[in-house]
Amino acid sequence: MLTASVFAVVIFIVMFFMIVLDKIERHIVTLGCGLLTLVVVFGICMHSFSAIWNTLAIKNFVTRDFWYQVTESESKGINWATIIFIAGMMVMVEGMAKAGFFRWLCMKIAFIVKCRPIPVFITFMIMSAVLSMFIDSITVIMFLSAVTVELAQLLDFNPVPVILSEIFCANLGGSATMCGDPPNIIVGTSLGLSFFDFLNNTGLCAGISLVFSVIFFYFAFRKEIVKDGAKQVDISTLPAPSESISNKRDFIISCVIFGCAVVLLVTHSMTHLTVASIGLFIAFLTVVTAGKSALELLKKVDYKTLLFFIGLFVVVGGLEETGILEYIADFIKDISGGNAMLMIAIILWISALASAFVDNIPFSATMVPVIQSLAGTTGVSINTLAWALSIGTDIGGSATPIGASANVVGTSVAAKNGYPISWGKYCAKLAPATVMVLAISTVYIFVRYI
Amino acid sequence: MGQLIISVGREFGSGGRVIAETLAERFGIPVYDRHLITEIATKTGMSEEEVEKYNETPKSRLVSRRVRGYSNSIEDNIAEMQFDFIRKKAESGESFVVVGRCSEVKLKDFSSLVSLFITGDMDKKTERVMNIYELDRESAEDLIAEKDRKRKKYHNSHTDSEWGDVRLYDLTINSSKLGIDKTVDFLEGYIRARMDNNSQK
Repeated sequence: MLTASVFAVVIFIVMFFMIVLDKIERHIVTLGCGLLTLVVVFGICMHSFSAIWNTLAIKNFVTRDFWYQVTESESKGINWATIIFIAGMMVMVEGMAKAGFFRWLCMKIAFIVKCRPIPVFITFMIMSAVLSMFIDSITVIMFLSAVTVELAQLLDFNPVPVILSEIFCANLGGSATMCGDPPNIIVGTSLGLSFFDFLNNTGLCAGISLVFSVIFFYFAFRKEIVKDGAKQVDISTLPAPSESISNKRDFIISCVIFGCAVVLLVTHSMTHLTVASIGLFIAFLTVVTAGKSALELLKKVDYKTLLFFIGLFVVVGGLEETGILEYIADFIKDISGGNAMLMIAIILWISALASAFVDNIPFSATMVPVIQSLAGTTGVSINTLAWALSIGTDIGGSATPIGASANVVGTSVAAKNGYPISWGKYCAKLAPATVMVLAISTVYIFVRYI
Repeated sequence: MGQLIISVGREFGSGGRVIAETLAERFGIPVYDRHLITEIATKTGMSEEEVEKYNETPKSRLVSRRVRGYSNSIEDNIAEMQFDFIRKKAESGESFVVVGRCSEVKLKDFSSLVSLFITGDMDKKTERVMNIYELDRESAEDLIAEKDRKRKKYHNSHTDSEWGDVRLYDLTINSSKLGIDKTVDFLEGYIRARMDNNSQK
């Protein structure tokens, strides 16, 4: 078992190192390392076919719980529910983007506030947070930052502070729900938590934090956004929101499907439909209603990310099966001396620190079995540890330009349009905001759960 | 004359840029080197100094990340804008000379492309750099090593191939053997032969 553990750790470290180096595409890295885990760790070292079988988790597809879950259950190995859900949402988002939904929404809100820079700044922050509760933050920021740059050029304001605030709020909004950010989907599906569980716990925390964040960014950026007085622009000369809609029929259908997705997610603890079922159903609806464009939508799905997840879960499965994650859990238990507050603080802040520099998806996938083990041995509620892990990984990612996918997309869109954002410029305001929200979250968890 | 695209890769101090400019003059076509910086600066509203800072500069892997084709690295974004620019110029049918920018790889699908790599003997490159930049020998050698290291890293991070690998280029030539002028003469003859060959097809 010792040899297997050593190999599992080495494979995991190599995988992390190669993801950071970004020399080879990350899905190839995780799939290669996943294959090595199956062959070397489970096959050669452990001679355990059951470990391979458990990690591949193919049998989950034929269990009723995978599609319709009455009682909470935890999953091990490849988290197929996460993968199917993300795939389904990707198909839906492609349909919405093709119909012009996101650009329309951005322009509509800008027009509602009469395209005045400061109100645009505040409403876009809130919109970023709300949209990210249901849609992946990459897509939200991709559209929001592009429209922000366009409006900035038309209205003569500085888009950088607006984009930075949108990025931060997208990550914050993502922490509010089970489907907002991949770590939450992993945590939720692994621990059998519902959309409403997240909304009621991390959601409330995100709501409180959003109020503080909007105030923080308003005072931090208000002088940077508009210099020497705002330019007066006749909004009737600007492109109307309706011009963003490429096809009215597709637009209405995509709005209805999005509405269905939100309703299904909000009610899934009552309907007992799992996120896998919801993802599959939403994808099915989108494809069926897309007609001739169905193939085009399916081709646009980011399969590399889905493959990345599959490989990642196998590698983490290697750590889990060899007991490495239990050692980590014991280590956290020892240094916290069994003190629940210290344990939660460690999970939240270490998760945040790690997520500020490395991909939060592998981190959270690794930490889920750790908190399961911790909860089992210390008696601290698994849900409380789950909220600490989710908040830490989701919020911590905001601190640096590489901490989360939305940050990369937002800074890239800004740079491509002539507004380069350096590490210094990014961290000057977003790192303090991250620390502020983490502090609020720590107090929130202590007051509410301890 | 049909379309002609000349891509010039070069070692620092080899005279590659001068060779590219002279070839452009002889064929009566524009050269895109410094012009690319101005173009990006005009297009984006950035200052030329700011674009220059990130021009042909490799990103630091530890502080960069790429997500679905987007990168937070300013160096990457400037590089991609330049690749787009030369690709669009090539697609428009325009003839031009382009210096560096991984152009031998980015434009390899264009049949009108003639890709060259200019190298040189270390002592000759050092003398050239000492004269141009008014440096002592040691500083000149250090500057050559530093610039070539950066160009290699930049090239290799934006392509799947190795900077200076002879298999990437139609012709690799040591400018120290014939001197700059005769090297240009030789290259002009080669390019004209290639143009004749293309027009017969």
